[in-house]
Amino acid sequence: FPSQTRTGSCHLSKIPKIVNSKPEPIMTPASGVYDACKSTIPVNTTNSDTAVQEQILQCIASSNANSIDTFFLIYASSLVFFMQAGFAMLCAGSVQKKNVQNTMLKNLLDACGAALSFYAVGFAFAFGGSYEEENAGKTTFIGTSYFFLVGMDDVMFWMFQFAFAATSATIVAGTLAERCQMTAYLCYSLVLTGFVYPVVVHSVWSPQGFLSSNRDDPLWGCGFIDFAGSTVVHFTGGLTALVATYLLGPRRGRFYDFRGRLLDTPNPMPGHSAALQMLGAFVLWFGWYGFNTGSAISITGPDQNKIISIAAVNTTLAAASSCFSALAANYIIAERRTGEGEFSLKAAMNGCLSGLVAITGGCAVVEPWAAVIIGLFAGLIYLFSSSALIRLCIDDAVDAVPVHMSNGAFGSIAVGLFGSPTRLELAYGHSNHVGLLYSGDGILLGAQFCGVLFVLGWVTLLMFPFFCILNYFGWFRSDVLNEIAGLDASYHGARHVDVDGVDMELVAQLRSQPKNSRNRFSRSSAEPNLSTTNLDSSDVSM
Amino acid sequence: MTSNSVYEACKSALSISDTSKLSLQEAVDRQEQLLECTVSSNADSINSFFLIFASALVFFMQAGFAMLCAGCVQKKNIQNTMLKNLLDVCGAALGFYTVGYAFAYGGSYGESTGSNKTFIGTSNFFLAGVDDVMFWVFQFAFSASCATIVAGTLAERCQMTAYVMYSIVLTGFVYPVVVHSIWSPQGFLSAHASSPLWGSGFVDFAGSTVVHFTGGFTALIAAYMLGPRRGRFYDDRGKLLITPNPMPGHSSALQVLGVFILWFGWYGFNVGSAVSITGPGQPYVMSLAAVNTTLSPASACLSAIIVNYFLAERKTGEGEFSLKASINGCLSGLVAITGPCAVVEPWAAIIIGLLAGPIYLLSSEALVRFRIDDAVDAIPVHMFNGIFGSIAVAFLASPSRLELVYGHSDHAGLFYSGDGTLLAAQVCGLLFVLAWVAALMTPFFLLLNKLGWFRTDAITEITGLDQSYHGAANLDADDHSLGPKPISPFQRTIAGPNVRVSVLDNSNSDHGSRFNVRTSTLDDSGPPADGA
Repeated sequence: FPSQTRTGSCHLSKIPKIVNSKPEPIMTPASGVYDACKSTIPVNTTNSDTAVQEQILQCIASSNANSIDTFFLIYASSLVFFMQAGFAMLCAGSVQKKNVQNTMLKNLLDACGAALSFYAVGFAFAFGGSYEEENAGKTTFIGTSYFFLVGMDDVMFWMFQFAFAATSATIVAGTLAERCQMTAYLCYSLVLTGFVYPVVVHSVWSPQGFLSSNRDDPLWGCGFIDFAGSTVVHFTGGLTALVATYLLGPRRGRFYDFRGRLLDTPNPMPGHSAALQMLGAFVLWFGWYGFNTGSAISITGPDQNKIISIAAVNTTLAAASSCFSALAANYIIAERRTGEGEFSLKAAMNGCLSGLVAITGGCAVVEPWAAVIIGLFAGLIYLFSSSALIRLCIDDAVDAVPVHMSNGAFGSIAVGLFGSPTRLELAYGHSNHVGLLYSGDGILLGAQFCGVLFVLGWVTLLMFPFFCILNYFGWFRSDVLNEIAGLDASYHGARHVDVDGVDMELVAQLRSQPKNSRNRFSRSSAEPNLSTTNLDSSDVSM
Repeated sequence: MTSNSVYEACKSALSISDTSKLSLQEAVDRQEQLLECTVSSNADSINSFFLIFASALVFFMQAGFAMLCAGCVQKKNIQNTMLKNLLDVCGAALGFYTVGYAFAYGGSYGESTGSNKTFIGTSNFFLAGVDDVMFWVFQFAFSASCATIVAGTLAERCQMTAYVMYSIVLTGFVYPVVVHSIWSPQGFLSAHASSPLWGSGFVDFAGSTVVHFTGGFTALIAAYMLGPRRGRFYDDRGKLLITPNPMPGHSSALQVLGVFILWFGWYGFNVGSAVSITGPGQPYVMSLAAVNTTLSPASACLSAIIVNYFLAERKTGEGEFSLKASINGCLSGLVAITGPCAVVEPWAAIIIGLLAGPIYLLSSEALVRFRIDDAVDAIPVHMFNGIFGSIAVAFLASPSRLELVYGHSDHAGLFYSGDGTLLAAQVCGLLFVLAWVAALMTPFFLLLNKLGWFRTDAITEITGLDQSYHGAANLDADDHSLGPKPISPFQRTIAGPNVRVSVLDNSNSDHGSRFNVRTSTLDDSGPPADGA
C-alpha cells in the first residue's frame, strides 16, 4: 500500500515521496478505509498484537491524509486553471472589438500549448528527479527525468504545476494584444512553458535548486523565499511581456500618428467592455485562492492548516488595500492634474490585481497587517510603473507589465522586509534570517534580491534573442493593414461580428491582395504599399 | 457538535465509559470498534465534502453552457436562449427529484436487491428513503448537463413550451434508464455489476455515452425535426444557398468564457465520478482523471485548429486560425476523454485528444452537408465525440487502471490484450443507447411538431424571439443586420398580432412551419421581404 509521507514542515519538500508508491489494487474501490487497511494485515496475527494495531492505524492515517491532500490539490488546481478564464475575460474587455477573437484564441492556445509542452518536457526540467532519494542534497540547475510523465506517480502534482505554468504564459497574451501574429505567440508559449519557466521553478522551488529555501542547506541559510510565485510565475511572465512588447513596438496610433509623429497625449485606446474586465478581475481573485493556498501542496500535517489559512487571509487583505490605494492615489493625481478627481475603474481593477501579485510571494510568511502594507504599496507601484511605461512609449494593452513584473519583484522584496519569524518557521522549518523589520538582519533581503536578479538575467538572456529572431524572420508583428483592419478579419475570417468600426471594404481589398504582400519574410516595420489601399478615405479614427 | 467531537461521539455511541473492568481482549475489541467508528465518520465527511465540491463544479457547467450559447446566437435571441438554459436546469431538478433518480438508482444500493439485473429502478421516488442525498445532487448535476446540451442546438427557433417539456421528459425518464443500465450495479450493461456483461461490462467512467451521447443524439433528432434556422441553408424563397450562411454568434468573448467555465467544471465532472475519495486506490484514480482531463482537450484544441488551418488553406489558398474550431475542438477533447479518463494513461489521453479534433471538424462538415442546423455545434462535439470516447476505451484501456477503478480487468483494451470483448461490450452499449433514445425521442418530438408546439412561426423567428416572447424592447435586439433579412415597418404592420402571438395561440397561426418543416418558407400570402 502506497504511503506518501507528507511530514508537513516545509513547502514543497513534502510532496511526492515517489519511491515505491505503485498502487497495489488490493481492494474493491468502494470498500472503506478501515477494511482496506485491515486486509493488508496477514490473517494469522491476532488483534491483541499492538504492533499490528499500530500498523493499521498508520495505514489509516496515511491513506486518509493522501485522500485529503489529493482532494486539496484537485481543488487548488482547478481554481488556478480557472484563472485562465479570468485572464481571457480581462483581455477580452481590454481590447478593441475588432481584435476580440484573436485575443481569445491566444488565451485558449497558450493554455493548450502549456499543457502539452509542460507534459512533454517542462515538468521534467522543473522537478525531474527532485524527490528521488539519491538526489537528496545535490544541487542541480535543471531536472533530467520524468519526461512525458514517465515514472511519475503523483500526477496530481503535475496538474497543479501545469496550471501555474499556464498562468505564467498567459500573462503575456494581454500585453501583446492587437498586433502580434498567432504563430509567434504559439512559439513563445511553447518555449516559455517548456524551458524558460521550468528552469526558474527548478532553481527556486525544487529541493535541488540553488536558490531554493526547501533545501537542506539553503543559500545563506535562508534561501530565496517565494511561497506561491511572485517571482517564479509573475515576474517571469511580466518580464517576458516587457521584453516582447519592447521589441514588438506600440500599437499603431497609440503613441504616434499615421505619419510617425509623436502624439501630444497618447491615445488611451480603451477596451470595449468594462463588464468583461471586471468579470476577469473577479475570476482572477477567486482563482488566486487556489493559487496561494494551494502552494502549500499538502493540507494534512500539523500546522498546515495555519499556513493555508494565513495565505487565504493575506490574499484577501492585500488585494483590498491595494485596490483602495491605487484608486485614491489616482484620484488625487487626477485632481492635481486636471482640477477634477476621477474614480478610475482601470486603476482600481489593476490595483487589485497588483495587490494579489505582490502578496503571492509572501502570503504564508507575513502577518495580516504586513499584507495590508504590502497592498498599499502595490497600488502605488502599479500607478507609478504604468505611467513610466507610457513615458517610455512602451505599449501594454492590459497593463500586465506594471501589474505582474513590477509588483512581482516588489512582492519578493517585501518578503525580505516583512517575513515573520514564526510564519517562516511554520512554512519552511527554518527562520535563521527573517525580515529586516523584525531582526534588522539584511541577509534574507539580500537573498531575495539575488533571486529576483537571477530570474531577471535568465529570462532576458533567453527571451530577448528569441523575440529578436522571431522579429528578424517577420513572424512577430502583424502587418500594418491587418492591424488596422483588425486581426479578427485578417486572420480568423470574422465577418460582421465583433468588428464594428472597421471599414469592411478595406478588409475585402486586403484579402484580395496577392498573398505575398503579407510581409512574412521581411522586417515587420516594412510598410506595405499604401498607394494600393484607400487608407486616407477610410480614415481609421486613430 | 464542535469540530473535535468525532472521537467523543464515537465513544458515546459505543457506550465506552469505564474500560478498567474489561478483560484485555474486550478492551482491544472496543478500541478497534472505536477506531472503525472514527475512521468511517471522517471518511464520510471527506467524501461528502468531495461530492459537494464536485457537484458544485458540475453545476457551474450550466453557466458555461449558457455563456457558450449566449455567445453563439444572434443578439435578438439572447433572452430566449438564456431562459432555456435556466429553465432546463430547474426542470431537471424537479424531474430528477420526483422520478428521475428513482428510475436511475432506485433500490440500487439496498441490501435486498442483490445482484439481480433490472431495467429500471422502482423505489426512492421523491427521494423517499434516500439517506445519502449528496449523491442525488451530484447525479442531478449530470442530468442537467445532459439536458442542456440540446439548448444550444435548438437555439433561435424553438418554442419555450416544447423545450421545457423536452427537458422534463429527458431528465425524468429517458436519461435515468440509460444511467440505470450503465452505472447502477443492477444495470445489464454495468461494469459495476457483480457479474458484468461478458466479464467486462460497458466501461464509461464519467459519461461519454451516458451523458454526452444521450444529449447529443437527442439534439440531432430534435434538430432534424425542427429544421434549420431561416436563412441558414435556404433563402427566403426556399432556394438552396450556394454557401450556407454561417450565422456567426454575437460575442466570441462569451463563447470563450463558456469554454473555460466548462473546462473548469469538467474537473468536477470527471474527477467527481469516482464518487468517493477515501480508500487507498481512490486518490490515484482521481489524479489520473484530472490529468487526462487536461491533456486531452489541450491536444484536441491544437489538432482541430491545425487541421482546420490546412483545410482552409487548401480550400481558399489562405489558412485561417479559426476560433470556432479551437473552442469546439477543446470541448470535443473534453467529451471524448470523459468516458476513458480514469482508465487510460496520459499518453493515450493525448492520442484521444488528437483524434477528437478532426472528428469534430469532419462531423461538423457532414452536418452542414446534410443541412442539419446546429447553432453551437453541439452534435459534433457531444454526439460524435461521445461515441468516439466510448470506443476509445475499448482500444486504450489499461489493465492496471481498470483493475484499480472497477476491480476487474479480465478484458482490457485491444492494444494491450488483443482481446475484442471490451470493444464488443462498448459497441453494444452504444447501440443500446442509440436505440433507446431514438425509440423515445423521435415519437416525442414528432408529437410536439404535430401539435405545432415545436417550432416558432416565421415572423417571430425573423423578428427575434426576445421581442416576440419576452417583451424585449430593443435592448439586446438592436442588431437586425445579423439576421437573414431585417423586418420592414410595413411587414410589421401586416403581421400585426402574429408578431406578439402567445405560445399557445401559436397552434392556430398559419405562419408556423409544422408539417413541412424542412423546406417551408415564409407564407406566400405575406408581403415579400424588404431588402432594405
